[in-house]
Amino acid sequence: MSNPATQWQSPEMARRLERRYAAERRFRLMGVGAITVSLAFLAFLLFTMLKNGIGGIDLEFLTGSDSTDAATAGIWSSFKGSLLTMAVTLVLSFPLGVLAAIWLEEFAPRAKWVEWIEVSINNLAAVPSIIFGLLGLAIFIQLFGLPRSSPLVGGLTLALMTMPVIVIAARNAIQAVPPSIRDAALAVGASPVQASFHHVLPLALPGILTGTIIGMARALGETAPLLIIGMRMFAATPPQGITDSSTVLPMQIFLWSGEIDRAFVQNTSAAIIALLVFLLAMNGLAIYLRARFETRW
Amino acid sequence: MSPTLVLLVLFALGGAAWFTARRRARALYTGRGSLKAMPNYHGLHMALWVLIPALLGWAIWSAIAPGLIHGAILAHPAAQLLPAMDMEREAIINEALTAARNNGFGAFRPEAAALTAPVDEILARFNWIGAALALVLAFAGGAYGHTRVTRDFPARTKVERGVLGLLLAASSVAIVTTLGIIGSLVFEAFRFFTFVSPIDFLFGTNWNPDPFAPINPELGEKLGAVPLFWGTLFIGAIIAMIVAVPLGLMSAIYLTQYASGTFRKWVKPALEILAGVPTVVYGYFAALTVAPLVRDFAAAIGIANPTTESALAAGLVMGVMIIPFVSSMADDSIAAVPQAMRDGSLAMGATKSETIRKVLIPAALPGIVAGVMLAISRAIGETMIVYMAAGAAARLSANPFDSMTTVTYQIARLLTGDGDFAHPATLSAFALGLVLFVVTLALNIIALRVVKRFREAYE
Repeated sequence: MSNPATQWQSPEMARRLERRYAAERRFRLMGVGAITVSLAFLAFLLFTMLKNGIGGIDLEFLTGSDSTDAATAGIWSSFKGSLLTMAVTLVLSFPLGVLAAIWLEEFAPRAKWVEWIEVSINNLAAVPSIIFGLLGLAIFIQLFGLPRSSPLVGGLTLALMTMPVIVIAARNAIQAVPPSIRDAALAVGASPVQASFHHVLPLALPGILTGTIIGMARALGETAPLLIIGMRMFAATPPQGITDSSTVLPMQIFLWSGEIDRAFVQNTSAAIIALLVFLLAMNGLAIYLRARFETRW
Repeated sequence: MSPTLVLLVLFALGGAAWFTARRRARALYTGRGSLKAMPNYHGLHMALWVLIPALLGWAIWSAIAPGLIHGAILAHPAAQLLPAMDMEREAIINEALTAARNNGFGAFRPEAAALTAPVDEILARFNWIGAALALVLAFAGGAYGHTRVTRDFPARTKVERGVLGLLLAASSVAIVTTLGIIGSLVFEAFRFFTFVSPIDFLFGTNWNPDPFAPINPELGEKLGAVPLFWGTLFIGAIIAMIVAVPLGLMSAIYLTQYASGTFRKWVKPALEILAGVPTVVYGYFAALTVAPLVRDFAAAIGIANPTTESALAAGLVMGVMIIPFVSSMADDSIAAVPQAMRDGSLAMGATKSETIRKVLIPAALPGIVAGVMLAISRAIGETMIVYMAAGAAARLSANPFDSMTTVTYQIARLLTGDGDFAHPATLSAFALGLVLFVVTLALNIIALRVVKRFREAYE
């Protein structure tokens, strides 16, 4: 029995091998199970919302404003608030984020204080969103006296939150542009600023836009910081400008979810469907942009 | 003049400046080498001179104007009738300001309503002064820029210097934001700690804030935040992680080690949808569907009087939300383990699962632990799910079917209530925010350091 070959074929060994293969199958099954559970949860969530809300979506719902009567309440006032808030966020965070990324990638000297900027950008991306609400309340509303509950303050707050996301995405996109492009521009006499703005930036733009859309989608779904700066209000009329009191679509969902009247369940679910469809469209656009314009070097 | 109009006018002037200077520079062009910079750069140079001083001046004016407006209101004859008491007078003035900005809505006190018209007038006057200041600066800058349009003027280098300054300014916004967060949290938390001792706050076990209670030394006894810290940890760091870590880890392992290319291509984005669903949707789902299920389950296993709001419902949903995050962190750390280690194990005759369990996971453990820490820092900062599903009761309990409250819930509730902003109970939200900020920051810094060291070990 000292021959290893016969040991391999002993029944004891066969049993052991069978056990190990069974463990292998169990492990695989656990993996499939984990994915199934996660996706089933998602499917359950979407199904619940569709079942409760699909009947509530009609033209009146999409064009109406908030109301105490569930039958006539609509999402237009909050949706317009969302659009205004997003406009402020985009106008501020996109240029700031792109310019900061260009500076950090192309012009920043190697110095201690530059490291501080990088560290603070990375940390800001991880700060809980509600903290940005506290910042907005203390600085924009209490200190600067900007109008409470307005898309202006909401947009400013969300812009500070979105900017780090855009900076990180833009830096990656700029890094992906090969140095030969820059070198060629410099070699024919372009200044460093011209090389960055005329040659590197256009090539990095698809990547930057993708990152921006993803950042904006996140900002669109954000509720907690806007709760803090007072955007939970009954918006019976759509806001007329960025300094009007207003609410946003996620906040409308939150407000309706607190209504005792069961009829609002349909409204809430329908508003959730509208929000998810909008987010899906934004992410689809991001995926399309990436597939269509991204250059692989 | 409304701020939007001022901005529009300024940008129109900037555009006009660009046109004029460019045309003038073109007129100067007589042949190769006759101009030191392209006409376009002359245009940009003048446009920058129009815009930057005017915008800076206007921003500074907007920053100091509130103080001046306040002074002007106090000096107005209508304000002489106000009570001399500082707190109340401020409240009335603030109300009148809000009302003046909102076309008369928001003035609840009669004094404030009476003050609205004069305040409106003062606001309009100060807005006009600001707009005039901006226009004067724009024209002065434009005049200077216009005189610079000469043959020998190096407009390009000047513009590029300006652009670099702009880039630097944009980058420093991040630092300013960080300082703003720390500054505002510390400042307001400090105001809170002048009323309540930090020891009472950090170690007290009774949380019952009342924004209308009289301010006295006993206030601290009702502002002990330990139950909140416990609720936050129990929901975010324990229940959510019990859900998210096994599911996230196993999905990552299956997707990277077993799944075929096409399966991964479809399933990975589908899993990532979980991270893209807004938290308010999860909150509503938790409150509408998961919480009643949890309650029925609790009743079925014989818990007396289960509540609809429970730590378990919030934690479960939060865990699902975190799955993609844990999964992608685990994915990264497993991918960082050198291929040679895996090949070595497989070559010795170990099965795939044995290799994963005995070689890959131990080798990737620091990265996975760091990922879990980042996931915890996300979970404890999450607001909407707990706001809608976990409840308001501050209690120290290890029973997951109990209603529990968290730091974020209390911040949101205290700051959306009707209480006076300067009351300690309201200010305690900023102290809670400071604790939350410090804890998430510490978790992030430690986790990133662990990841860095772990990466270096395999390079």
